[in-house]
Amino acid sequence: MKKVLNGNEAVARGFYEAGGLVSASYPGSPTVEIIQTLIDEYDEIYAEFSINEKVAVEVGIGASIAGARTLVAMKHVGVNVAMDPLMTFTQTPINGGFVLISGDDPGMSSSQNEQDNRILAKFAHMCVFDPGDAMEAKVMTKEALSISETFGLPVMVRMTSRVCHSRSIVELEDRVDRVVSGFSKKIEDYGMIPPHTFKKQYEMKNRIAKLQDFIESSPINRLEDDYRSDVLIVTSGLMYQNLKELNLKLDVLKLGVVYPLPIEQIRALKKRYARVIVIEEMMPFIEDELKIHGIACEGKEFFSFTGELMSEAILKGLEGAGAVEANDAEVIEATETVNRFSMFCAGCPHRPVFDILKKNKVSVIGDIGCYSLAVLEPFELVNTIISMGASIGMMKGMSKAYQMAERQEPLVAVIGDGTFYHSGMTGMLNLLHQLDPDYNLTLLILNNGTTAMTGGQQTASSGYYTDKSDMKVDMETLIRSMGFERFKRVDQFEYKAAKKVIDEELKYEGLSIVMTTRACALQYKIVKPHYVVDPDICIGCRSCLKTNCPPILMKAYEGHDKLKSSIAKEMCVGCSVCAQVCPVGAIKSSSAGEV
Amino acid sequence: MKSYNIILAGVGGQGLVLTTKILAEVALKAGYSVKTNDVIGLSQRGGKVWGSVKMDSEVFSPNIAVGQADFVIGFEPLEAYRHCYFLRKKGTIIVNTHKIPPIPVMFEQVAYPEDIYEKLDAEYELVKIEAVEEAMKLGNVKVANTFLLGALASRMMIDKSIWIEAISENVPRKTVEANLKAFDAYFEKQ
Repeated sequence: MKKVLNGNEAVARGFYEAGGLVSASYPGSPTVEIIQTLIDEYDEIYAEFSINEKVAVEVGIGASIAGARTLVAMKHVGVNVAMDPLMTFTQTPINGGFVLISGDDPGMSSSQNEQDNRILAKFAHMCVFDPGDAMEAKVMTKEALSISETFGLPVMVRMTSRVCHSRSIVELEDRVDRVVSGFSKKIEDYGMIPPHTFKKQYEMKNRIAKLQDFIESSPINRLEDDYRSDVLIVTSGLMYQNLKELNLKLDVLKLGVVYPLPIEQIRALKKRYARVIVIEEMMPFIEDELKIHGIACEGKEFFSFTGELMSEAILKGLEGAGAVEANDAEVIEATETVNRFSMFCAGCPHRPVFDILKKNKVSVIGDIGCYSLAVLEPFELVNTIISMGASIGMMKGMSKAYQMAERQEPLVAVIGDGTFYHSGMTGMLNLLHQLDPDYNLTLLILNNGTTAMTGGQQTASSGYYTDKSDMKVDMETLIRSMGFERFKRVDQFEYKAAKKVIDEELKYEGLSIVMTTRACALQYKIVKPHYVVDPDICIGCRSCLKTNCPPILMKAYEGHDKLKSSIAKEMCVGCSVCAQVCPVGAIKSSSAGEV
Repeated sequence: MKSYNIILAGVGGQGLVLTTKILAEVALKAGYSVKTNDVIGLSQRGGKVWGSVKMDSEVFSPNIAVGQADFVIGFEPLEAYRHCYFLRKKGTIIVNTHKIPPIPVMFEQVAYPEDIYEKLDAEYELVKIEAVEEAMKLGNVKVANTFLLGALASRMMIDKSIWIEAISENVPRKTVEANLKAFDAYFEKQ
């Protein structure tokens, strides 16, 4: 049977067909749908969104050691968080096949950086598969599990955003049931301290060498030498698809596995071709590997080190390299028009909080989540965004630096609930250590009950918002139990009351914690009558507009000279924040019967 | 087998992913090889989003090069205009006329461009559909995109029954009837 699947759904399908049993992840673009699909569609598989990527890998390691085929998925930066257990797990033998999906993001369509995780895989002595479409993603997920078991090492399937979110036709096969073999009690294999670890370093090298021997003749790497050209292109994944699109008369070695490489095969090929040109996105990983092994090749000098390499860029690069004849076709320029950036949703509970912070003219140490959008106009308020959970630790460091310089500057940090549990909690505990009790620090925890940015996966406190979650951590109890005393809870849709509390806490000399309590508007729909503007009362002051709610717009009304505010009925969810910031009472609920 | 390259452009949250999926299913049922790009990134947060669908006997990359699209489906006028350069000469652009102002327009820094349709009409076949208003008449604003699909389908060589099947299987069950009405509204005989 054939089905149209995107790359993420295809990975999930491959894991299912391979008899996979345990999977874990932390939600992050571009891989979030892998675990979501396993949860929604495959009851045979245990799938969880863990507290963070490190925990997800730990869950996976446990399952693999117990003998279950295991999949762990995360975005590229998530692998950084998981690196610690991973680097040691790559020393131990593999019992149940272990595959790590890394969602790399060339072009950073939804990420804070653009790291190339093929390098992390090599660093950890892992094999790396590089699929180019959904069908390959499914096949390679199965092949990766098999290689993991055969050669006794964890395998990375390195996806990119474009492959994760691209749909293509996938041939479906049946699931193969696999027995959980159980934990082998060999201490020398799993008790990773010296003297056991000395031997492991050699084993790690040996299994990569054995795998390389296998890869030399594996059909997973495919030579297409129909043209007998004098140039050999070495490429993989989506770059292969983008190249094929151009229909050039060039021979190609299409790599399915990009680490380890079939070095001897390429060395032999080098004798047949005058030039070897490597086409790869981001870093010169394959190119460097070939050069390390003394195989002369070219690559990055013709192609960008950053962003996506689309077909046009590949053609241009090959023209630059003189591998194909230059083409003087007319260049079509992008259409220039008004730009459009992302913004908070209608009824988003973050909006009143940032409106209040903006009115207080404070700088804000930000974190990763929807609230990162406050870095953009109109708020332009979040001044730093580095990584998940970093805001609290950074606030401590900043306060120490200012203290050393004998400066006082009130510091404000924001963090969401998902991010807090992910890795903000450790920074929180660190605040208890050598903190100046009089230094003005304010931490706003935006508890909306979900990981909103990635589509609404559960957090540890989601149970308070929905019956579907089995986790119901009371954040206030947790934080108080750590030893923090000044903790306030606000309902930000009670705008004036919330503003009073936040204003006071921003001035408080010492550490104060404020938790907002409204749920994500997208995940837990507000169903209230929409609000309407009375143009006769509206004075056109634009206070409502400044809250940046999508349905609010200035408009010309008949019989009025000045522009007055208006609210698009089909978008308004009735949160009432605009009505509360209006100084003259011009905005009312449509349920009051006035239009 | 006539090949088709289709670009979808709109604003996050408008349902581009589902529409892309329906087009992919249509292609599969019609015996094509197909690849699509889904929208990437801040898809639910009102940003500009786009997708692509490529149908042919064999498809390699899901990406459509500029100047190579047969159709652009604009879920919003400004986004239709932004992506029109993907169209081949005399290609067709189907536009939902319901405007969603971006932040610089909301904040009165710039005006929403007024000459979009003149520019599009000069170079392409332009099909304007008041999809949101028409959908509200059917009692369900969510069927707006299906009016656009109807207009697209009437210009493609794929049997109507395939479209009906793909739409029926992919929209929420309660909305099938309204969606099929919306599809029919702009589906003319080929």
